[in-house]
Amino acid sequence: MHIAPHSRARRGLATVAAATGVALLFAGCQATPGESGSTPVAGGTLTYASGDAEPTCLDPHVGGNYPQALIAGQFLDSLVSRNTDGTIIPWLATEWSVSDDNLSWDFTLKDDVTFTDGTPFNAEAVKVNVEHLKDPATESSTGYLALGKVESVEVVSDTVVRFSLSTPDSALLESLSQPWTAIESPAGIARGMEENCQAPIGTGPFLVDEWVKQDHVSLVRNEDYNSPPADAKHDGKAYLDGIEWRFLPDSASRYAALQAGQVDVIDNAQPDTIAAAEKTSTLAHLDAPRPGASNRIELNAGRSPFNDPAVREAFIRAVDVNDGIESLFFGSAKRSYSPLSSIEATGYSDESLFGTDLDEANALLDSAGWTERDADGYRVKDGERLSLAFPVSTNQSIPAEQSLFEQIQATAKDAGFEVNLSLLDLSSWYGVLGENNYDLVSAPYTKVGPDVLRILYHSDGIIPAPSGYFANHSQVSDPELDALLTSASEISDEDERAALYEQAQKIILEGFHILPLYDQQNHFLLGTRVKDARALPTVSTPTFYDAWLSGQ
Amino acid sequence: MSELDLRTAAASAAPVRRARPSVSEIFAMAFVLFLAVATVVPGLLSSIDPNAIAARDAFQGPSPEHWFGTDESGRDVYSRVIAGTSTSLLIGVSATVIGVTLGLILGVIAGFGGRILDFSVNRTIEVLFAFPGLLLALLVIVIAGPGPVTATIAVGLSTAPGYARIIRGQLAGIRSSGYVESARVLGHGPRRILTRHILPNALAPLMVLATLGIGQAVVWASALSYLGLGAQPPSAEWGAMLSAGRTYIGTAWWLTVFPGLMIVLTTIATTILGRSLTRRTAGRR
Repeated sequence: MHIAPHSRARRGLATVAAATGVALLFAGCQATPGESGSTPVAGGTLTYASGDAEPTCLDPHVGGNYPQALIAGQFLDSLVSRNTDGTIIPWLATEWSVSDDNLSWDFTLKDDVTFTDGTPFNAEAVKVNVEHLKDPATESSTGYLALGKVESVEVVSDTVVRFSLSTPDSALLESLSQPWTAIESPAGIARGMEENCQAPIGTGPFLVDEWVKQDHVSLVRNEDYNSPPADAKHDGKAYLDGIEWRFLPDSASRYAALQAGQVDVIDNAQPDTIAAAEKTSTLAHLDAPRPGASNRIELNAGRSPFNDPAVREAFIRAVDVNDGIESLFFGSAKRSYSPLSSIEATGYSDESLFGTDLDEANALLDSAGWTERDADGYRVKDGERLSLAFPVSTNQSIPAEQSLFEQIQATAKDAGFEVNLSLLDLSSWYGVLGENNYDLVSAPYTKVGPDVLRILYHSDGIIPAPSGYFANHSQVSDPELDALLTSASEISDEDERAALYEQAQKIILEGFHILPLYDQQNHFLLGTRVKDARALPTVSTPTFYDAWLSGQ
Repeated sequence: MSELDLRTAAASAAPVRRARPSVSEIFAMAFVLFLAVATVVPGLLSSIDPNAIAARDAFQGPSPEHWFGTDESGRDVYSRVIAGTSTSLLIGVSATVIGVTLGLILGVIAGFGGRILDFSVNRTIEVLFAFPGLLLALLVIVIAGPGPVTATIAVGLSTAPGYARIIRGQLAGIRSSGYVESARVLGHGPRRILTRHILPNALAPLMVLATLGIGQAVVWASALSYLGLGAQPPSAEWGAMLSAGRTYIGTAWWLTVFPGLMIVLTTIATTILGRSLTRRTAGRR
């Protein structure tokens, strides 16, 4: 009943062999450019300063946000990973196969791996993890959604685990590559949520030693580590003794601490500091755009005035964002014309739809009946002003982006749009969205693979979940688009899948439902003593397994 | 400006001097005149629209074209600083007026309302004094929501206890003074004594206090805007401009230096004038 291992899996196996065999001998030759010839040295503690919110729980199964993913990648491994070409590669699973009806997946697991508490990693552990994610008591949202089509998990043997699906899921491997579905020790999970949140137990290169709330998490090396992903540069345990993971919310202090050498790596680097760092020889820049959706402004088609496609097009023609992106981001962000991140191979972009043309915008609005202008210069129809509510989440946007929105407000005015920007904290922002009290919104969404399109643009996404959250903020409701997204999520042929996603993206772009801005920005700055740190090509979180400190 | 400063300023008893204004006083007066022009006819000082966005011209340093450089959206910082004068001063002056008026009412009640009212107003003032002024202002904003109007009221309310206490002391002094005693002996009614003898004599030092208080109120209002609780971006207000420019402090110093300088100079100028007024009026009561 099972077909032979997928060609991708075989390629993955070859990579493992190459990595394990070659990396040991030639690890030094694979160092970052400019460092060729230097050999990794073990030892030292790396200090990481995060500008993301401190997680309330270190277990990424619970909830499932980006700050959790950032740190969990250091102490948890996933079943599979993804390489820079977008190909799924082995990690804790060495190979996999799918049944003819695409409803049953068998994963073969590494047989010599143990969790850091001594619990063996096996098929039973995988089953416990999936059940933990699907248990409502876990309060998982990201991992829970990602495994929505997984009906049950069965232990075939100690090293073979079978996933049974309700409907085919072409995104299953991508979903399993994310840190939010990473594998934890069953014994650790059994301790209960409170204890597991404090220090989850994984198979990763480091383990949680101590978490001092509002200050830092101490991670120490896992001396028995033997399960790196297939694209790692070396084998065996990590070079670093440990990582001190600090929380430094203020971006200026974070950069100052990096300049002073108090910390080795910072995340959420702001555009002007990236530009400044690139001029120096003492700091390195790691640009790791997040996967899934691009950063875009969504136009709410679920209410007036954007229920009229002509008004949507007029808005997109009216606003000028290119100059703003260039000046505010100091060249660190590239303009996007796609619903998907540039790291998604299936991304489709169409620049021709997004040319700024004020005359055309005015003509479109005139023909849509917005002919009069009031004393302030805004267009009016039937006594209503052409007003757009634009709630901005201060937690999910950087100052440069907020300035860009102010510029959009100013250029939209030339065409007679009144844009009402309101800066809100996260819960008020969710509240405004839940009340359908918005016309423009920017809501980042990170997920590995193009299936993010189904979450964001399928009409099912308009119906709020019990929590009140819904993902289809542009409120696109198009039966043709729904059909495309559904069949793309079930098809197994890669080329057909890509073709369906391309058609879907065309509909989204040509319907003027979104104004793409740039990739979800994810910039890290590193002190020069940090070598061979990289971002995982899954959700672009940094991994310090291969990293080492020069001058130790 | 602490309460102690205000009190010594009000109570200092320098001899009457008709001295010529000092250099610092001339500069202070010139600066206040400049602020007045910027508030009333900003167009006289700058012809550029303070909210005109030009993304291509962002982050330019000071130049003959843009005296104070441009900000992250290419707006002219000089014209924004000028435009911000009216906002910042309006908040500062209004807050001081609110504070002084409230202080006056409370002070008069305490000074003339008999023992029980005096006691209760005094205890209320003491309770309010237990909170630092800015904390009191924050409390008001938490209840009423952020914005320039609430920031003004918040600063006004939080300065009121200081004024009230000083006014009460002033009133007590005046009430036992010789001329009030004479008026009473001459058979004038309490209302006539209050309006004709006591208040006019108490108001002069109060005006001096208020001049000193404006500087403090401008600083507090800017602090609230800096924290995002007062004027909201993109409105041109010194504190809000400081806050927005803070992100780029490492790369574009002019975004913070110029609005910061305005806050400092305004405070220094009003303080110099306030102290000079104190000296000039002290001997007259």
